[in-house]
Amino acid sequence: METWYRSLADQLRAWSDEQLARLLAARPDLTTPAPLDSAQLASRAATRSSLLRALDGLDLLSLAVLDALVPDGAPSAEAAVSRVEAGAEAAGAALRRLQELALVWESTAGLRCVSGVADLPRVPQGVSLAAPGDGPPDLVSSPRDAALVDRAAAGAAFEAVRRVELLLDGWGAVPPAVLRSGGLGVRDLKAVAVRLHVDEPGAALLIEVAAAAGLLAAGPDEDGNLAWLPTALYDGWIERPVAERWTVLARAWLATARTPGLVGQRDPAGKGWNALVTELVSSTIAEARRMTLAAMASLPPGEVLAAGTGGPSVLAHLQWLRPRRPQTRSHEIAWTFTESAVLGLTALGGVASYARLLLSGDDVAATDALAGMLPEPVDHILLQADLTAVAPGPLETSLARRLGIAADVESRGGATVYRFTPASVRRAMDLGWSAVELHSFVAAVSRTPVPQPLTYLIDDTARTFGVVRVGLAEAYLRADDEQSLIEVLHHPAAASLGLRRLAPTVLISTTPLAVLLPRLREAGIAPVVEAADGSVHVARPDAQRARAPRRAAEGAGVAREAARVSAVVAAVRAGDKAAASRPPSASAVALDPGGALAELREAIDAGADVVIGYVDNHGVRADRVIRPLSVEGGQLRAYDVRADDERLFAVHRISSVRPA
Amino acid sequence: MNDGPLIVQSDKTLLLEIDHARASDCRKAIAPFAELERSPEHVHTYRLTPLGLWNARAAGHDAEQVIDTLLTFSRYAVPHALLVDIAETMARYGRLRLEKHPVHGLVLASSDRAVLEEVIRAKKVAGMLGARLDDDTVAVHPSERGNLKQALLKLGWPAEDFAGYVDGEAHPIALETDGWSLRPYQIEAAESFWHGGSGVVVLPCGAGKTLVGAAAMAHASATTLILVTNTVSARQWKDELVRRTSLTADEIGEYSGTSKEVRPVTIATYQVLTTRRKGAYPHLELLDARDWGLIVYDEVHLLPAPIFRMTANLQARRRIGLTATLVREDGREGDVFSLIGPKRYDAPWKDIESQGWIAPADCVEVRVSLPSSDRLTYATAEPEERYRLASCAREKVSVVRRLVEKHAGAPTLVIGQYLEQLHELAADLDAPVISGETPVKERQRLYDAFRSGEVGLLVVSKVANFSIDLPSAEIAIQVSGSYGSRQEEAQRLGRLLRPGTPGPDGTPKTAHFYTVVSRDTVDADFAANRQRFLAEQGYAYRIVDADDL
Repeated sequence: METWYRSLADQLRAWSDEQLARLLAARPDLTTPAPLDSAQLASRAATRSSLLRALDGLDLLSLAVLDALVPDGAPSAEAAVSRVEAGAEAAGAALRRLQELALVWESTAGLRCVSGVADLPRVPQGVSLAAPGDGPPDLVSSPRDAALVDRAAAGAAFEAVRRVELLLDGWGAVPPAVLRSGGLGVRDLKAVAVRLHVDEPGAALLIEVAAAAGLLAAGPDEDGNLAWLPTALYDGWIERPVAERWTVLARAWLATARTPGLVGQRDPAGKGWNALVTELVSSTIAEARRMTLAAMASLPPGEVLAAGTGGPSVLAHLQWLRPRRPQTRSHEIAWTFTESAVLGLTALGGVASYARLLLSGDDVAATDALAGMLPEPVDHILLQADLTAVAPGPLETSLARRLGIAADVESRGGATVYRFTPASVRRAMDLGWSAVELHSFVAAVSRTPVPQPLTYLIDDTARTFGVVRVGLAEAYLRADDEQSLIEVLHHPAAASLGLRRLAPTVLISTTPLAVLLPRLREAGIAPVVEAADGSVHVARPDAQRARAPRRAAEGAGVAREAARVSAVVAAVRAGDKAAASRPPSASAVALDPGGALAELREAIDAGADVVIGYVDNHGVRADRVIRPLSVEGGQLRAYDVRADDERLFAVHRISSVRPA
Repeated sequence: MNDGPLIVQSDKTLLLEIDHARASDCRKAIAPFAELERSPEHVHTYRLTPLGLWNARAAGHDAEQVIDTLLTFSRYAVPHALLVDIAETMARYGRLRLEKHPVHGLVLASSDRAVLEEVIRAKKVAGMLGARLDDDTVAVHPSERGNLKQALLKLGWPAEDFAGYVDGEAHPIALETDGWSLRPYQIEAAESFWHGGSGVVVLPCGAGKTLVGAAAMAHASATTLILVTNTVSARQWKDELVRRTSLTADEIGEYSGTSKEVRPVTIATYQVLTTRRKGAYPHLELLDARDWGLIVYDEVHLLPAPIFRMTANLQARRRIGLTATLVREDGREGDVFSLIGPKRYDAPWKDIESQGWIAPADCVEVRVSLPSSDRLTYATAEPEERYRLASCAREKVSVVRRLVEKHAGAPTLVIGQYLEQLHELAADLDAPVISGETPVKERQRLYDAFRSGEVGLLVVSKVANFSIDLPSAEIAIQVSGSYGSRQEEAQRLGRLLRPGTPGPDGTPKTAHFYTVVSRDTVDADFAANRQRFLAEQGYAYRIVDADDL
């Protein structure tokens, strides 16, 4: 550190593109909108809101190092490090990180923190910087076979995917209404929990994850009322292999800002939170999830969090890494533990091997690894005399659909147990299957001989099936005299009336009464209208879909972010060049308030005097020599050299700034 | 994935593919903690229940072993929630212990203070506990030992009973194995019971549960009270004990409606114990009449509720329950667990059958069509009348006659629910009837005649459902029953399963079990329940039309 700078902007100008890019990546709030040049960047980096955001991301040691530089800075890095009760190497690394984040810069008087840091609340109550230590406290772990963790987690992953499928299949047929508050009714949540064999928090999680993945959204049902419906994306999702479907869900959960863990809890007014209401979001939950899982994944395979003490050790670990995060952090960590286990990222306190790949960003490898652990689809069933059929693994989709029509599902999991009942066989016949087709279907898919009671059941159901027949007719024609009906039937004008004879004395017509009646009269027949009930049953579509919400593509996000950062870097560089090419006197030209701010911050950092052009209350512009102290809330606090006192200046009235 | 025979479902059922090479290892491994629910031909279904897991804990298995077994044999990944649930459930057993205290007698102790606090505050146990002795111990009124265990089970904190048993009054009893010996599974069952202290032995009908009881008595060698379902059964117990043990007829007393003897071994009926007179149970003192060393409950799944309450007071004595099924139609399986004891032995029917100890059975359902006039009567009948109408259809009589003729010469039982129908059948078949109205002496005579072959056909009501040993029966035809009760089906099938003498050509007997039902009525609906039960037990089941007979 031999070069020292006049201001932070100066230092930023001297940074390499990589350094600048790293800063912008670490503090993304600085990039929108793209700053004009380094001066503006430096100014923006010193605003209160941006500083608070940057401080939120600091660990305990970094905060301690920063604290040691308040208020007057330190002559050298060694001096700064020696003030902190921690290893010199760790503290040095923390200091370098603070410089990278543009929280500390190298002034001509030594290392200084950016102006504004001193005035901020840096350390939350109850946290001591006295002995920060070199790193976070260790996690408490115990050994557990990694293969066992994988097996248990893969089981949960499979279940989660299956349950989301079950959830949305059910809602596609009978969608629950969207509450006026925007959420899902408590009764609907309870019903889903029962149907999915999970507790209500578990059901809320699956619902929220499905929504976060874009598989579920509010849309109009067939009556036009707003209801929760599977989206068009769901139709594509359902066709993909289980492992791919899981990756979609897991990614959605990792990224979502929603807090399913709050569902069922009381809000401050004492009212229970409903699932899917818009209020259930937290700006910190995604980070908490990511950090919790990262902490768990930092344990080597074969080690898991110890039962009982492992959880609290993660909390302590994260409290060190992010001391400024609020107290709700402990809930968020606890939710992450349960939710990641339900979704199959973790099991038995350890992160599954495929979930490690997912956390490291390699979705494809994660999917492949998980696929290897999931049950392979089977194409056959085992039929038994108690009228059950066991599919000893997940069935191929088309087979599962067909079997689901002819038999009821009795138990789900890795395998599926179906039961044939008179009702289920009748249902298949309702959908057009004949007894012969049913016989050949069960014989074809079964690996075991078809038991006699099943054959009998199908035949017996077929025997009574269709004894009573129902059909559609628009009108009927009735006469006690058979002959007159035969005449009508064979009348030349009758061909277009869609007449059919059901019984010697009854005809039906597919022509509506309003048309039929005049036609019959035209044909010289004189009918009497007996009754006029023309209600027609319209078959309703059995599956409804909502439009998928528009959302950013996941994979593209990272690349886009990187591209944006480099574009901003280029823009800042161009701005700097333009500023440098201006003649020196040009620095006294009128500036917009944004430019004025940058100049003022530079002066604050340097402790230098400047001359500002200031428009007073009467609209008169005058030059004043001042030493800026701080900028906050649109006001500049400065030492007015002429008045020999501290004064406040409205920033928007400062028309120019130049060095004194 | 590994190539195991077991599939663990998220609804806590376990599917065991029995044709798998490791199926029998797996069955042995999971039997201690999973209840066999169905055993049809290819895939057996077991269920994990809290009771089953606690049974396993009582037998010395821990959660680690259970989880390890599941993971070892499971073909697919095991749902995480299920593993957590197993560990939590099993951890609940034994947090509380019933112990003997040198000063205070019976105490409830716990190493988990929170659990003890929770339990002490529970309304259900109010009045059962005495003074708090220290932080971890509280006194228990000795008379509440059973009630407390029952209440704790309901609270989900089953107590382990370490308080031990009184020896009772010694009385020498030995098995006299001249010309016969206990079967291996009977020995195992008696041993498991004895080492467990108290508990239930589950064996199929005809598998010789009486002998397991006798073996248990020989272990105890103490005065014994045997509780049975009815008088005929009591006589059979007595005969069997005289024949198989060193006991003489004078040492065995019968305590029933007709005679009230109290001897070193006393056989009492459930009925006489539950008789109430002026709001009191006059025969209850029988339980205290002697210092019993062992109490045997026959057909424990039928144990009436009042006996449960009395049993609660017998907790200091050893108890053995014998039954063919732990299924209780009243759902009080938990009471059997806490008051008699955990399941100590269980063997699938088909296993014992394949070893030749019980006869194989061929189950056939015969469907008759009602004539149109009867269909109309049925369709317009009140719902509560329908079952009787359908059950007693006249068309059944001719079907029964044809079946009897088909198996002419083979000892046959015709079993029904409705007396009117039974008398009609008896008249048509020219056979004697045994029902609740038949005097015990007459019943005894007819059973003896049937056993000796003198009478080849009996029409019986549900009095013959239980504990009647008719080893010669080969054919059973049931024409009506109690609304498709699975328990009744087990009992009736059991009548047939006692292995008889092999035929002249040396082939073992095959029993035939016919059920005659009316097509398209509730009768057929109830028959579906029974069909399911039999198929689940692994019996081949066919359905034929009466015209195809």
